[in-house]
Formats: sequence, structure tokens, C-alpha cells
Amino acid sequence: MRDTADRARYQTVPQQPDDARSLLAALLALPGRGLRSVIRSAAMTPGRLTVIAVGLIVLTALAALTASFAVRDRSDTLTDLTERREPLAAAAQQVYRALSDADATAASAFLATGEEPEELRQRYENDIAMAGSSLSKAASDPAATPRMTAQIDVISQQLPVYTGLVETARTNNRQGFPVGASYLREASALMRTVILPAAEALYRIDTERVAEQQDDAGGFPVVAMLFVIALLAALIATQLHLKRLTNRVLNVGLVMATLAIGVGVLWSVAALTVQSVYIGNGKDDGTEQVDLLVQARIAALKSRADETLTLVARGDGGAYEEEFVRLSGRMAGDDGGGGWLADVAADATDGTPLASEVALAQESAEKWLRAHAKVRELDNAGDYAEAVQLAIDVGKPDGAAVAFVALDDHLRAAIEEARQAFHDDTTAASQVLTLLAPGWIVLGIIAALGIGAGIRERLREYQ
Amino acid sequence: MTGHVSGRLAAVLAVGLVGVLLLAGCGSPGEPPNLAPQVTAQRPMPANAEVNPEIESIGAVSDDCGNPTASLRPKGLATPRGSTMAKIKKRGILRVGVDQNTFLFGFRNPTTGDLEGFDIALAREIAKALFGDPNRVRFKAITSQQRIDVLRNGTVDIVVRTMTINCERRELIEFSSVYFVAGQRVLVTKRSGYTGLADLAGKKVCATTGSTSLSNIAAAPSRPVPVAVDNWSDCLVLLQQGQVEAVSTDDTILAGMAQQDPTTHVVGPKFTSEPYGVGIPKENTDMVRYVNAVLRKFRENTWQAVYDRWIEPALGPGSPPKPTYK
Repeated sequence: MRDTADRARYQTVPQQPDDARSLLAALLALPGRGLRSVIRSAAMTPGRLTVIAVGLIVLTALAALTASFAVRDRSDTLTDLTERREPLAAAAQQVYRALSDADATAASAFLATGEEPEELRQRYENDIAMAGSSLSKAASDPAATPRMTAQIDVISQQLPVYTGLVETARTNNRQGFPVGASYLREASALMRTVILPAAEALYRIDTERVAEQQDDAGGFPVVAMLFVIALLAALIATQLHLKRLTNRVLNVGLVMATLAIGVGVLWSVAALTVQSVYIGNGKDDGTEQVDLLVQARIAALKSRADETLTLVARGDGGAYEEEFVRLSGRMAGDDGGGGWLADVAADATDGTPLASEVALAQESAEKWLRAHAKVRELDNAGDYAEAVQLAIDVGKPDGAAVAFVALDDHLRAAIEEARQAFHDDTTAASQVLTLLAPGWIVLGIIAALGIGAGIRERLREYQ
Repeated sequence: MTGHVSGRLAAVLAVGLVGVLLLAGCGSPGEPPNLAPQVTAQRPMPANAEVNPEIESIGAVSDDCGNPTASLRPKGLATPRGSTMAKIKKRGILRVGVDQNTFLFGFRNPTTGDLEGFDIALAREIAKALFGDPNRVRFKAITSQQRIDVLRNGTVDIVVRTMTINCERRELIEFSSVYFVAGQRVLVTKRSGYTGLADLAGKKVCATTGSTSLSNIAAAPSRPVPVAVDNWSDCLVLLQQGQVEAVSTDDTILAGMAQQDPTTHVVGPKFTSEPYGVGIPKENTDMVRYVNAVLRKFRENTWQAVYDRWIEPALGPGSPPKPTYK
């Protein structure tokens, strides 16, 4: 009845423009006129119901889409974390490790008299190859910051210079020229003062970015939550309004819509809680343990270089020995039972492969520190040849070389275990969210259909 | 009417098109992004190398100690109870501060791992006199500037490390009689054409930190720029890398470098006289007399053989210097 009255009123408006100017004015006036007519019809119940239905459906679409996007976004962040960010940090760690090991190995090879031992030469060459290929991986990060690029620049520029110096040292050494030792010291100084600090900075930045991304993935999706709360409030208000209007308690369509959104909220809360537990586990048992282990491993490598360089310097190596004491203390304490290794052991769950690898690493560290004390004792007593043998001979079971290689192997294995723990937990966190993103779309559609059906049922009563 | 309108439209379109083309022509298209910028190589330096360091001893060399090479008269090879020698014998090993990077004087033979050279042979001679065994020595490789410190803090018993006797050092430590006389000259690459320190005005010249050679370079009238490093071999590294123009120190050390690199040679006259002595802590005067007694025998018996083995091929024939005593 009223609809036809409205239509009649529209027809009274003059529709024939006299010229182009009045046509333009009419066009400009259209939106205003439309809005006015909506407001007018909203003042009457059937029109108001239509407006409410449209508003609720639009709000449903917004809530479902933002929730779905927020979930998709977190899922993407987690995938990026496991597929790109953490592997990049691992590559940076490899660069750092390979370079430190190359420095330690070159010094060891130099200590050996006569022909250079084949296994040391091979280890050095593998280190350089590993450093080069890990560096290209670390450099492939499209999201690298200028600070990261600067570190990679330094390493790429200086690594060929370093290897050149080491080869010049070898050539001179083979001819019996003492200038070879000077080339080796220059190479080592370049490595320690320029290249390794850059590698360390790169590793630090990469590790920080992993931690940042973990925090991002565990954050609260505020915008989506606001929309969902607004939608729920609107649905409840509509139902109360309709109850007052019609004295009917239930509107099946609107109840269905409310239930659908409620299911979405419960599902989201559960999934996000489980997910953040998984992310937290991935951090505690994974990346934070990896970081401590990496620091321990680097300290071990630097200490090893110090041990051999003390002998290369032959009496002029007080500074190297001081650094050994400082670094090995931070790695494993004075007796293998303290330092970063003890921190990792304290946080590792008993019985896990990580815990057993760390225990083995602590054992090797203790053996190495004992062997090192013996090396220093021999060297200080003037038994240089014996000290060198104990330090670099891989055939001596109680020697420093064997203990160090065992320590490095166990630390490598422990790092792999911790990385695996991170990967498992973070992948699980991502899987928890897999169905939630499409789930929100489906629930949104159900809610919209419910709203449409529910309102139409009421409108029909007016016709 | 229609033709007129479409003609005007065409004109408007044409003007617009020309305008757009003009605008496009005026705006620069920019440059292609350059991912491989020009960089220059950063040359590596030996650890602790320093260009134009502060040289404390410059001008402070006191010449008021008379003849610095005059040492205490030898008193035979007895090692009475309570003497420094007796303490060393009780310990069972002679601790000697040496160089391990100076070819011909003190260097590590990479094939055997042993230290060799003129200074090493002399140190072994002293051990042989004490213990009857030339191998009862613990060599401690030290840098030039550590020579006086290790004697004063008792880390070593003697220093045999191409150490020039002078008045300034004599205030801090004792010296044996002279066992070798060298003179400062200049090592340059053959291609450079330099003939001495006079040609090296404003050029970088290398020597070890704390050496008299470094002070002499800084004090040269041609004003070269001194570069200080830890070890003499580091100077050769810098010369080979083109980071210094010359190395200037005792001809003996330079000869050892020239033997390691055939593209270099020693040039110029000897412009200093560097009498080498064994460094001994100031309070151990009994040890000074003992070492001088060993040196007396060394000059007579083995000096020539050791010289001929290490130095003669590089510097030609030589004879032992005459000792002077107080």
C-alpha cells in the first residue's frame, strides 16, 4: 500500500529537462534524492527492515572477509617463517661457521710440519666452498635491509682476498720462506677484524627478523575482531527489535546467522590459542635454542683458532690465549659444565635427541678443555713439538683435535635437532589455521543467507 | 553542420595529441638502475700495522754512556752456586727470546718445524755451554718491541734477536759483547729504481715497531713516512702488496727478505752501524760475563761456520767483530 504511494510521489517529480544544463543538474541531484528516499522509507517499518537486512549483510561480508584475510595472513607469515626466514638465518649461520672454521683450519694446517695434512686441506677447501654457496643463499633474500646488504657486500668483497692471502702463505711456506707465516697472520687478521664481524652482524640481523616474525604471527587480529563483535551486537539488537515489533521470540534465520558467527568466534579463539602455544614452543625449543647453540659453536670455532694461532705465534700469542679463556668460558664454563651449553641443557626436555646431543657436546667440551690445558702446559714448559702434536694430531684420542671435532659434530647435530623442533611446531601452528580461512567465508555466507531469509519472512507479513 | 563539428573535433584531438607527445618528450626517462656500483678494493693490512706511528725514542737517544758496546769482561765458564747460571741449570732449560720470522737470523723451517738461523745457532751454543746439550732451549718468539719487556719481567733469561746495542737500551738492560755488526740499508723492488732513503721523500717505508730502524726512517732528512709492523716479514708482505715503497733496516735482515723475493734488492750505503748483542736483565751481571765467555769461544771456533752457512751467500764473506770491554 505504502509502496505504491511512494512510487506515485516519485512520478510527480519533473523528469523532462529543458536543456543540457538542467540534465546535468538532475544527474547531480540523483544521489541526494536517492538518499532522501531511503531515509524516508526507513522511517516506515518495511523500508526500515530492508535497510537493516542490507546493513547486516554488508557487516557480515566485512567481518567474514577481514577474519578470513587475517587468518590467511597469519598462515602466510608462518609459511614464510618456515620456508624462507628461518632457512635464511640458517644460511647466515652457515656462512659464519664456515668462515670461522676456515680460519681455524688454515692455522692448523700451517702448524703441521712437512707436507700439509690432506684432511686439513680438504676441510679448509670445503669450508670456503660452503661459505661461498651459503653466502649466495643468504644474499638471495629479496626483503634484505640495507644493513644486511652492507654486511653481505663486505663478505663478498673480502672473501676472495682472504683466500688469496692464504694461498700466498702456502706457496711461501712450501719454499721454506718465513714470509708465509706473515701472510697467514695477515689473512687471519682480515678474517677476524673484517669478515667475521660482518658475518656475525648478518647472522644477528637474520635471527632478530625470525624473532620479529614469530611475534607478528602470534599477534591479535584486532580489526577482524572488532568487525565480528559489531556484527554479533547488531544481530542481537535486531532480534530484540523484531521481538518488540512482532512479539515472536525466535527468528530462525537470524538465530542461524548468530550461531554461524558464534561458531566462527569459538573456532578462531581455539585455533589462535593452540597456534600461539605452538609458536611459543617453536621459539622456546627451536629458535632460541638454535641461537644459543650457534653462539656456542662459533665460540668453540674461534677458541680453536685461538688455540692453534697461539702455537703459530710461538710465544707471541698471549692475546690469543686470553681470548681462548674468555670465549671457551662463555661457551662451556671452566670445565665444560657451564656457559651457553648449560643454558641449552637446562631448557631441553630430558630424553629428547636434543638433550642427548647437548650432553655429548658438554662431554666433548670438557675433554677439549682438559686437552687444551695439557697443550698449554707442554708449550709453556718448552715442549713445543709435543704441544703441537697434542693440539693438531687427529690420531691422538685424548688430543685437542679429536675432542674439538667431536664437540663441533655434536653441536651441529644439536642445532639440526633444535631447527627440526622449530620447523615441526611452526608447521603445526600453520596447519591449525588451514581450514579456518575458508571456514570464515562459508560461515559468512551461511550468516548472510540466514539474515536474508529471516528478514524476508518478516517483510512478507506486511504484504 | 555535422562536417563542421567533426572538423573542429579533429583539430582539438590533434592539438591534444601533440601536447601529450611534447610532454612525454620533455620528461626524462631516467637512468637504468645500477645494481653493480663501482667499488675500489680495500687492501688488507697485517695485524697491528700502523702508518706514521708516534715514535717515542726519536731524538731521545742519549749518547752520554760512552761506548755502549763495552761489555763486562768474561770470567770463564764456571757456574757457582747461587749464580743466575746455577738457577737456569736447576730449571733444566734455557729460556731465550728469539725471532721466528727473520730469514737467516731466526726463522721457523716449515719442513721440520724447527727454528733456525744465526741467532738460533748462538742461543744453542749458550745452552750447550750450560747443559752440554744444544737442545735444552725453550724458544719464545717475541716481537721487536717486546725485547726489553720480556727481560725486565723475567719471562726469558736472554734475548738473541738482532738487537742493536745502544745507550738508551743500556739504561734498561745489559748487553753481551758484540757478536755481529750490521748496518741499516734499504730494500726496494728492482723495478722501482730507488737507490736509497734519499729517493723516498714522502713515500711509505716499513720497519718494526720499537726498532731503531723505525726511528732512523722517521729522522731521515728526506722525510719518508714510517710504517710500523710487528714482524720484519710483515714488511715484506707490505712491499710485495705494493702498500709500502721500501723496507729499511739492517742489511742482514734485508738480505734475508731479498732471498725470499727475487724481484727485490738491497740498495744504498750502510748509513748506520748496528752492533748486535745478547740482551740480558740488568741485575744478572754474572750472566753477562758468562755469555761473554761463551762468545769468546764462539768467535774463535764456530762463528765463521755459522756465518758461512747463513749470511755469506747473501752478503759475501765476513769475519767476527772484535769485542770491547769496560
